[in-house]
Amino acid sequence: MEDRIKTVMSAVLDVSMDQINNNTSPENVEVWDSLRHMNLIVALEEEFELEFNDDDIVEMLNYGLIKNIIDQRLATLSH
Amino acid sequence: MKYSEILKKNSELGVNLYSAANSIVVLSNITIHQIKEILEYPQRMNGINANVEMGNHDNIVQDSLKFQDSNLVIIFWELCNLIDGLTFKIELFNKIEFNEILDKTKSEIDLVLKNLQNAPLVLFNRFSPLLFSNSSIRKSNFERFADCLNHYLEETISNNVKLISIEKVIAEIGIYESLDHRYYYSSKAPYTVSFFKAYSEYVKPIIMAANGKAKKALIFDCDNTLWKGILGEDGFDHIDMSTENRDGSIFHEIQSISIALSKQGVLIGLCSKNNPDDVEEVLISHPDMLLRNEHIAVNKSNWSNKVTNLRQIAQELNIGLDSLVFVDDSPFEVNFIREQLPEVTVLQVPEKLYEYPKMLRENVGLFYNLSVTAEDRKKTEMIKQQINRERIKNEFESIDDYLSSLRLGITVYQDDTTISQRMAQLSQKTNQFNLTTKRYTEEEIRNYITQNGTNVFSFSVSDKFGDNGVCGLCIVNLDGGSQTAEIDTFLMSCRVIGRNIEYAFMNYLIEYLTSRKIKMIRGRYEKTLKNKQVEQFYETCSFSTSEKKDKVKSFKLNINQYKPKKLGYIEVKNGR
Repeated sequence: MEDRIKTVMSAVLDVSMDQINNNTSPENVEVWDSLRHMNLIVALEEEFELEFNDDDIVEMLNYGLIKNIIDQRLATLSH
Repeated sequence: MKYSEILKKNSELGVNLYSAANSIVVLSNITIHQIKEILEYPQRMNGINANVEMGNHDNIVQDSLKFQDSNLVIIFWELCNLIDGLTFKIELFNKIEFNEILDKTKSEIDLVLKNLQNAPLVLFNRFSPLLFSNSSIRKSNFERFADCLNHYLEETISNNVKLISIEKVIAEIGIYESLDHRYYYSSKAPYTVSFFKAYSEYVKPIIMAANGKAKKALIFDCDNTLWKGILGEDGFDHIDMSTENRDGSIFHEIQSISIALSKQGVLIGLCSKNNPDDVEEVLISHPDMLLRNEHIAVNKSNWSNKVTNLRQIAQELNIGLDSLVFVDDSPFEVNFIREQLPEVTVLQVPEKLYEYPKMLRENVGLFYNLSVTAEDRKKTEMIKQQINRERIKNEFESIDDYLSSLRLGITVYQDDTTISQRMAQLSQKTNQFNLTTKRYTEEEIRNYITQNGTNVFSFSVSDKFGDNGVCGLCIVNLDGGSQTAEIDTFLMSCRVIGRNIEYAFMNYLIEYLTSRKIKMIRGRYEKTLKNKQVEQFYETCSFSTSEKKDKVKSFKLNINQYKPKKLGYIEVKNGR
């Protein structure tokens, strides 16, 4: 799963996969603005066949948090 | 393909800064940035150097002025954001309020269309209430409002504007898949990436056609492709394309779709393993056939392999293999062609026969033509005359004897707006005899015609077999001050190549320029994958090379050093 998230982030944010760590966020990725965030959310939704809610979206602001929320969403789905 | 994959591959393909870009701008009153890469990617995949730029958010009127020189302008003017909350507020509007916002929007449309009147090509999405409609039987104000605006658009737009039925795109994937409520409320971004993918697919034929990439010929296998059954085994009386039978009626429909295409200038051909006489007999006298010899531009019914046959078909029709679409039912033949001739687009008759007409209809966009001209309607006839000429050519000793026997004539039209549509089409479709391969829309041609200091020549060619229609174009910029002229475009449709027409026209042009006191003429050759045959053209016309850079060669000619070719057998006339 981690690789799939990184692949998507790398494609959307123009960073290489090995540069992505838990702290990768709009603070240190220049192009990660609100429009790019929208692209990232939509791309992740497509990848994992999920739909995030408004609260998720504002929270998913670094790689660590993104991973957590996707984990949670996938867990609720499997129940 | 997933959105993230599109982003990745699109960025890998990149923009080639060194070749002319297809510049596209999207103007919109909503948030729509995600369309950029989704529009770019399929074009770049097809060798079009696409670059999509987004206008400023909700700034359509001003941006229409700023971006009028783009190759293509796409307008997403969304009702839901004409004013904030229009989707529900409008239901409370009285007649006066309704008309007020209607008139305001109409006058903005007028401004935008005026700003874009000289733009090469504009795709204007029809207004659609669909995403915000309910299931009520009575029309809502919102729906009536859309009707009024669409009606107004249809009455007002000029030739360079194409209305896009966005509801067809929404129907394709469904309202639920098209609309993202979440981002609509948070960011005024109603459309999903699924919608953008479907939209991009929907407008692709227009973009391909505007970039000279439309397909030109549709070639069919015969057995189980144009009729049910195998002619060589089942026999004349037992093949089926009759409306009376379940399967037969499907083949009847296929033949009918093909004839409709041929009337729009698509060349129809046969490539089938059969005895030629058997197929001929079906074409002439089978009572259930719709396709007849008059519709078929080229017929390769024989026992050679289909790769050889398709190569010959491309050669005889004088088009590239990448302009061919081939339909066959046999997986073996389909794979064989896909492997050996990857340039050819191959369609396989679906296993579920009832899906066959749908499959063919879905691919009709491959042949999309920005406009259908008189030349398109008689194309099959003209191409057959051409094949006849080639046959007779072999009977003559020398090429000059042959050409003299043809009774060739050229009629030159100067700055004639009545045929600007055809001239634009020539610039969009001609690849081989084309010195600079600049693609122009009708609007641009009209601008050149009315522009001072530019002459637009076109010519038609006739001979004893018939009239080829308007098939040559030459755009020349004249500078009276320095007494120089520059040939911006010179092209000729492939159907008149090889008859020295180009030299006869050059004699005419030089004579005209001399009368306009021009002393020096410049011309350029810009190399593409397809125009090698004209690399030497200017040299053959006594021009000398002045500069060579990458794919561009520049030439000049001191007009009194021009040596006209003696072409007494070609009669040159002035048209209108």
